[in-house]
Amino acid sequence: MKGKYYIQGSAAISPQESFFGSFTPQMPVVEGPLNRLRAKEPDYSGFITPNNLRRMSRVLKMGLVAALKCLQNSDIAIPDAIVTGTGRGSLQDTERFLHNIRDYAETALNPTPFIQSTYNSVNGLIALQQKCTRYNNTFVHRGFSFEHALLDGMMQLAEGRADVALVGAFDEMTDEHFYIKSRLGMWKTALTQPADLFTSGTTGTLSGEGAAFFTIGTTPGIARLDGIRMVYKPSRQELHAALESFLAQHRVAVTDIDLLISGQNGDTRYDQFYQQLTRQFFPQTAVQYFKPLCGEYETAGAFALWMAVQTLQAQGLQHVLVYNHFFGEQHTFFLLSAV
Amino acid sequence: MAEQVFITGMGMVTAIGNNVQENLQSLRLQRSGLGYTRHIDTIHKAVLPVAEVTATTQELAAMAGKENVPGYSRTTLLGLVAMQEALRSAGINDAREMPAAFINASTVGGMCDTEKVYFDILDPEKDGAFLQFIDTLDCADCTQRIADDVGIREYVTTISTACSSSANALMYGARLIQQGLVQRAVCGGTEALTRFTINGFNSLKNIDKQPCRPFDQQRNGLNLGEGAAYLVLESASLVRQRQSKVLATLSGWCNTNEAFHPTAPSPEGDGAYEAMKEALAMSGRTADDVQYVNVHGTATLNNDLSEGKALERLFGDKVPRFSSTKPFTGHTLAAAGAIEAIFSVLAIRGQLIFPNLHFSEKMEELNIVPETQLITGVPVRNVISNSFGFGGNNASLVISQYEG
Repeated sequence: MKGKYYIQGSAAISPQESFFGSFTPQMPVVEGPLNRLRAKEPDYSGFITPNNLRRMSRVLKMGLVAALKCLQNSDIAIPDAIVTGTGRGSLQDTERFLHNIRDYAETALNPTPFIQSTYNSVNGLIALQQKCTRYNNTFVHRGFSFEHALLDGMMQLAEGRADVALVGAFDEMTDEHFYIKSRLGMWKTALTQPADLFTSGTTGTLSGEGAAFFTIGTTPGIARLDGIRMVYKPSRQELHAALESFLAQHRVAVTDIDLLISGQNGDTRYDQFYQQLTRQFFPQTAVQYFKPLCGEYETAGAFALWMAVQTLQAQGLQHVLVYNHFFGEQHTFFLLSAV
Repeated sequence: MAEQVFITGMGMVTAIGNNVQENLQSLRLQRSGLGYTRHIDTIHKAVLPVAEVTATTQELAAMAGKENVPGYSRTTLLGLVAMQEALRSAGINDAREMPAAFINASTVGGMCDTEKVYFDILDPEKDGAFLQFIDTLDCADCTQRIADDVGIREYVTTISTACSSSANALMYGARLIQQGLVQRAVCGGTEALTRFTINGFNSLKNIDKQPCRPFDQQRNGLNLGEGAAYLVLESASLVRQRQSKVLATLSGWCNTNEAFHPTAPSPEGDGAYEAMKEALAMSGRTADDVQYVNVHGTATLNNDLSEGKALERLFGDKVPRFSSTKPFTGHTLAAAGAIEAIFSVLAIRGQLIFPNLHFSEKMEELNIVPETQLITGVPVRNVISNSFGFGGNNASLVISQYEG
């Protein structure tokens, strides 16, 4: 895929103070008893009419408003494409509909939770609100949800079908789903502060959530998006080979990387991927860890990319590499450079 | 010019057959797959017709070579059966032979199995084998199990845009090929009937208690179905190199959004019109070159009106023959786009046009009527296949005869 891609603007709703103003990472404190970070939701009333606000469930509001804020920040009204990724869509609605089916014995059901549980409902809402009648797509695939949305957006630009694509991701956590995933051993069982994630020496991690959106285009913006490389269930050797060929493809040496943004999450089952990669390629490079800031979720990679853009700009860096994986299966590299 | 994308293999399972040949046979014999569910525990089971795949989940497991292997949802097994046939039909003995993409589509993942044990999962007192289905609710579960089973690894992902999901998966795979990211992409979708979905569409008052009647004045909603379908897409250079047998060309595609309403299309079919028009333009064909349109034709009041208007706008008084095959397969949601793409290939290869069952009365708002009889021995060189969904998502594909 040839061509240059630039990030024109971005916005994020996350467990950090990320929606307004400049971003200063702050180590959150988990009050317990669950190892869970919640997104700090902004006041949505400036973005959504009161009528719609009442009807919409939580992640719909989070996704829609992050998208609208991103367009605002980018000074763009109507993008040529809208592509999103989500691991869970509107969990709240899926759960509500499952409960309603049981509680009302399949009779007289309210269709709203069913409609809103559809994974592309946020995409539809963005298109509806901005009257965007062009390309619209949604990926739902764990740690390859946002990542494919971004690749799709880049391909829209490469094909000349879009000048500007809106690309983003959103995920929420609910009490019920937190419990379900705890049965799979996803979360640490003892209360663990984000600051202590990497020293806990236990399996599982900290649950997170959030929404982040970007506008990408072919004219210079706030950062250059050199590329994305996904690797599915790799061995360590395959992962390292993928990184080497990815950097070579973009003519960047490991020593050119000013900052590595790492998805390490303190789960002793999978942290070795991060540790080995850092040891092998980036022993001297500055590393920032984003999972203690936003928690772990399918589309945490979108928060990482957002943080990479903020940091690259604020610190005047040349090259930032993001490496993230979701429970050892979907691994991704993003490479960002100064414009 | 971007590289051409060819269809070199296909596999499917639906209520009218466990493979492509059986599906074709049922289409020819006008044998509908609609009936009543035997596998879903729902109060609607004797009331709402569905097009259910005949095989039990256990029988599907045997067909897929996964007998007594735990953790495979019905969604995954349907997909695996279709995937295995698709690879065989493309002459691929080992998909590991080259980097390839698997672009799957799903609306509710393994909900068919999860919903049966959901409240047990929530109950800390309960423990047991059902816990293996916890993660199948996730759309990625079926995709990864299928990918892992056949060994596709380069790009693995799932698209979920409701009823247009697998049409979008086909587009995405074709675009990965055109961008040179892979030479081969297997694309399509899998969908199992669920109590969740039946109740969802029923709560929208979108389900007909009779067999659905697309494009009929008396139509009163859709019938749900289940199935899976995958098409093997290959680049022109790969086709040359391995001398693949080409079944048809995926010559054009377009995805648009209605930006009109969360679940209803615009009355004039703006999105459908744009999607068909742009897909046709991309294919380098004109309206006169189209011999058949496999319409989305769900038989809901809104869809058929807006899709019919869009056809009249695009083709004027020369609307090509068209039919909805949903009275055969039911509306298979995420699988529908790929199932109907295969039907489009079959129409081209067999030079035939499938009937739109259950039609009797022209819609008063339209001047056009669907084909009601099987038509054979007619030239079918270019087919438009439409898939439209919630969220205003419209996808049109143009499938063309291979001129090689």
